[in-house]
Amino acid sequence: MQKIRKTIVLRLEKFLRNKQPMFLGKSLIFILELIKKKKVSTKEVIDYFLKRIDKYNSKINAYLTVNRTYNSCKLDKIGLPIAVKDNFCTKGIRTTASSKVLENFIPPYESTVTKRLLDASFFILGKTNLDAWAHGSSTETSDFGPTKNPWDLSRSSGGSSGGSAAAVSSYLAPATIGSETAGSIRQPAAWSGVIGLKPTYGRVSRYGLIAMASSLDCPGSITLTTEDAALILKIIAGKDKFDATTANWEVPDYLSELKKRRKFVIGVTEEYLEGVDEEIKEAFYRLIEILKKLGHQIKKIKLLSPKYSISVYTIIQRTEVSSNLARYDGIRYGNDRTFFGIEAKKRIMLGTYVLSYGYYDAYYKKAQKVRTLIIEDFKNVFKEVDIILAPTTPVTALKLGEFEKYPFFGELMDVLAEPAAIAGLCAISFPFGLKKKENLPIGLQLMGRWFEEENILNLTYQIEKETDFLGVIKKGIKNYPD
Amino acid sequence: MGRKKLSKEDVLHLARLAALTLNEEEAVKYKKQLEETISYIENLNELETSNISPTSHIIPITNIFFDDGEKNKRGLSLTEVFQNAKNKENNCFKVRKIFEE
Repeated sequence: MQKIRKTIVLRLEKFLRNKQPMFLGKSLIFILELIKKKKVSTKEVIDYFLKRIDKYNSKINAYLTVNRTYNSCKLDKIGLPIAVKDNFCTKGIRTTASSKVLENFIPPYESTVTKRLLDASFFILGKTNLDAWAHGSSTETSDFGPTKNPWDLSRSSGGSSGGSAAAVSSYLAPATIGSETAGSIRQPAAWSGVIGLKPTYGRVSRYGLIAMASSLDCPGSITLTTEDAALILKIIAGKDKFDATTANWEVPDYLSELKKRRKFVIGVTEEYLEGVDEEIKEAFYRLIEILKKLGHQIKKIKLLSPKYSISVYTIIQRTEVSSNLARYDGIRYGNDRTFFGIEAKKRIMLGTYVLSYGYYDAYYKKAQKVRTLIIEDFKNVFKEVDIILAPTTPVTALKLGEFEKYPFFGELMDVLAEPAAIAGLCAISFPFGLKKKENLPIGLQLMGRWFEEENILNLTYQIEKETDFLGVIKKGIKNYPD
Repeated sequence: MGRKKLSKEDVLHLARLAALTLNEEEAVKYKKQLEETISYIENLNELETSNISPTSHIIPITNIFFDDGEKNKRGLSLTEVFQNAKNKENNCFKVRKIFEE
């Protein structure tokens, strides 16, 4: 009897020792509260995520570099875990932009975004995969292999911030930082079934973000909840002395802005439904009914066809790429130019072509003029509505390998995201249901006026409270138990 | 909309301008893909833009300068400057010579 009792006590003790803290699927804000109330230590939190990364990353390939320095670094702060796209320079942590050119590059300085996160008590869990130099919409151009979609490992998680989106949807990080040039946060967030926020151009500093197209690049977040998106934006937004294109506008307290019960006039347009999958359209119409019920006003609007945005984006992005990637000479850091992959070379050459003598006016200047048209188009529409609602992508996640068939297939996947990026607007994508047969997340997006992130966050929060995004986020994480 | 034509020499010339090396096979492949992309982007000519000024920046912003004498907080130490360089000598980067003596 005595012996049996002893065995039971021992077993119980062992069980309690091994008992996982109950984090699975919890938001950043929830974890922060647990740490503050001393229910759990920072070390336990970091170890929990490192363990999950060890368990699942080889399947998904979301992380390129895992930061295991936690035990040796002196942290007097909280150490809230976050993962960062591998095109943000992190001092002392390898930063590759997923290209062999920077395979062994250890930045000697910290990007403003990561500096602000570190100052706000975050711990960088690791660096996430992307299309090489962020050129693409699938992470297939990564020199370190594609990131698999956690919903279906034979599919793409989207891109270029595919690693950041997959890490959140499989809960290998409670939240991540991504960057968007035109679709690179929203599209992978939509395909991976999580929330992707692209702030207004100039809202968040680009200092230390490896430059792709400087007039478009914008850091943002990928999260499980709207509150986490608001929390992160408050930390990373605002004027930065080291990025002259950051705006001097005041940064509101996005978290308290969420709680206001606001009513919006929401614009919807036919142009953004052309060629869109039927089930995505159904989700779009379903949300319209819910928004009406919540007391918002829906208004039909007319916008320029997104097909012109593809051309404007292609020209502007390639020209800025050809200029930005000229600095990689292999002399001061990195490998030489023979290490560029196929996609980067192609983009550099197209950029060189459209900027060359005799073609500059026909392509580059023309594109910048049409960019003015697109901006004016949005300005006019935003006189009538506060927010525009549209699908994020025309289809759900594609199979890996499907992108190779077309020269700029990725742009077609980003067609609905590109106009807002070209105009520099803020926009957010959130999951709204699943495509039934394939069981893949559907993403819808809200576009807001320049520097009015609080509006799109407020409405996303209302949708979250009302619908819980139809359970998509929780369902995704369930596939990856502890 | 006519399909834009590029010659293989055009492609090799572009690569040379951008300091990229291409082999034969790549040149042929890029030629086709560049032609396709260039043909697509010509759809911008459907839009009338003669009285439109090109965008220079999406938000109204003017030049920003540092004040005289302000300390540059971004400066790197020499160790940091050279930490990623493969070839260096006496605190200089070593490069291939481009002039004959």
